Amino acid sequence: MSGRTISDKIIDAHTVEGADEVHRLVRVDAVLGHDATIALLADEFDVRGLEIWDPDRVILTNDHFSPPSTVERADISNRFLRFARTRKITNLLVDRGICHQLLVEHPLCVPGALIVGADSHTVMGGGLGACATGMGSTDVLFTLATGTTWLRVPPTIRVVFEGTLPDDCSGRDIVLELLRRFGESGARYRSLELVDESTGRICQDDRFAIANMAVEIGAKFGVFRPDEVTVEYCRRRDGVTPAGLVESDMDAAYERTVRMDLTGLTPRVAKPWSPANVVALKDLERVELSVAFLGSCSSARLSDLAAAAEVLRGKRVHPDVRFVVIPASMPQFQEALRAGHIATLMDAGAIINHPSCGPCGGIDKGVLGADDVCVSTSNRNFRGRMGHWDSRTYLASARSVARAATLGYLGGEE
Amino acid sequence: MISGVAWVFGDDLNTDVIHPPEYFSLDPERVRQGLFAKYDSTMVSRLRKGDVLVAGRNFGCGSSRETSIRSLLLNGVGAVIAVDFARIFFRSATNNGLPCLTFADPADLARVPNGGRVSVLPDQGLLSTIDGRHIPLEPPGRFVRRIWAAGGLLGLLPAR
Ligand code: SF4
Repeated sequence: MSGRTISDKIIDAHTVEGADEVHRLVRVDAVLGHDATIALLADEFDVRGLEIWDPDRVILTNDHFSPPSTVERADISNRFLRFARTRKITNLLVDRGICHQLLVEHPLCVPGALIVGADSHTVMGGGLGACATGMGSTDVLFTLATGTTWLRVPPTIRVVFEGTLPDDCSGRDIVLELLRRFGESGARYRSLELVDESTGRICQDDRFAIANMAVEIGAKFGVFRPDEVTVEYCRRRDGVTPAGLVESDMDAAYERTVRMDLTGLTPRVAKPWSPANVVALKDLERVELSVAFLGSCSSARLSDLAAAAEVLRGKRVHPDVRFVVIPASMPQFQEALRAGHIATLMDAGAIINHPSCGPCGGIDKGVLGADDVCVSTSNRNFRGRMGHWDSRTYLASARSVARAATLGYLGGEE
Repeated sequence: MISGVAWVFGDDLNTDVIHPPEYFSLDPERVRQGLFAKYDSTMVSRLRKGDVLVAGRNFGCGSSRETSIRSLLLNGVGAVIAVDFARIFFRSATNNGLPCLTFADPADLARVPNGGRVSVLPDQGLLSTIDGRHIPLEPPGRFVRRIWAAGGLLGLLPAR
């Protein structure tokens, strides 16, 4: 047998039963869910008289409607809360931020874990070396009841980051460049094994940004090879060193290997209406903006808020731009408050909303009208995603978004 | 056999276009109305039971909100035939008994007339057009057939 990749090993270690050559029944270490998608399965779960296989391994959080902005969403939120409370879910995190950020802030998300979530960006857990992936409500119902799920063992594409990440770039620019190269389906059904051999080491927040958007490339997993950055993060979070870092074999069988030299990278931007419609920001013709959004599970962590604050210090948000900032979670928000970043952003004219999804999914405060042109740190600029069908969204890094917010336009700089 | 009109789409059709997020709801009627609501607001009224969606690569990419699958089923869509599927969409559709099949030869996508009548035999993996073209599809795997036979994934829940 040829050598095993990280996802091969994690799946092997969790296999309960093999149905055929490719399908496996695996046990999971954690299940993640949020108000919208858990509410979809609650009635079915109740009608069938099912029980949660292990309430200590379930993390549920209301983030899409937090706090709810319409009566219907308040009802959905309450349905979700009733489900979680009657099931005595240990990790019910109410109004604490976006589920994916709360997952990586939780000790259940460790290197080598296998995690299923009722949302596509669950893949972000891969930033810590976990095989984490999103599924629909029916799949998650099955997993909540049994602690297992069916998986196809995916082929692995290895991506090796080399060189040095320039100061004006972040994980968002890295992943947008990956999207430019791979397209929206370049890693469809694949596990992306992300190996950081860069000189400065990609910081943990940036790894989350990269793993988060692995799903935009079609990937099932976007799993970073755990290293000292991972260990340091887990140690700070949990007070203990994570056990059993899963690494690939020397002779692991990859479908292919892609090398990416970070040294020459420049800020990237994805134009409407695809996250893979990526160009260098410097090649973008000037677009006048009406909205700038720093938020979503793809960004809005401490380092992103710090980068934006650095750009905005002593400057003003352009009068024609509404700059909406939504920290990814309460802990990120509180740390940014303590560090003074929030005050800097507010002094410049940004408005701060409660940690939640906000306008990212086109459902909460900050959605776009027909004429709006938005630059956003979120992960999808699909047509109509953030609001009106005619609105337009460009994706960029927190730094680029903050800079555009002061200028009033994106691209077309000398 | 599934038979109806073929609605042909291109590549990378994402779930925000299939079912815009503002139609997310626990009310089935609201979910039903959301299908392609912004892409083509007349589509819901023109869809008939047994109609078939036909598409290029990476159908259903994006969000995992299962309201997109529910809306397809509530509008009577009988099957989705594509060059290939995004994985979450494929799983959720299969779990809910909506057949998703791929072309044996991706080039056959061009042979399906938009708006023409077609029929699909999911178990055999065959799509036929009204003018007698027979287009082979990848036959469903053993595992997918097992879920179909159970009436969806929840039929595989261990008996209590
Ligand atoms: S922030 Fe956006 S992408 Fe992330 S979970 Fe919320 S709606 Fe989805």
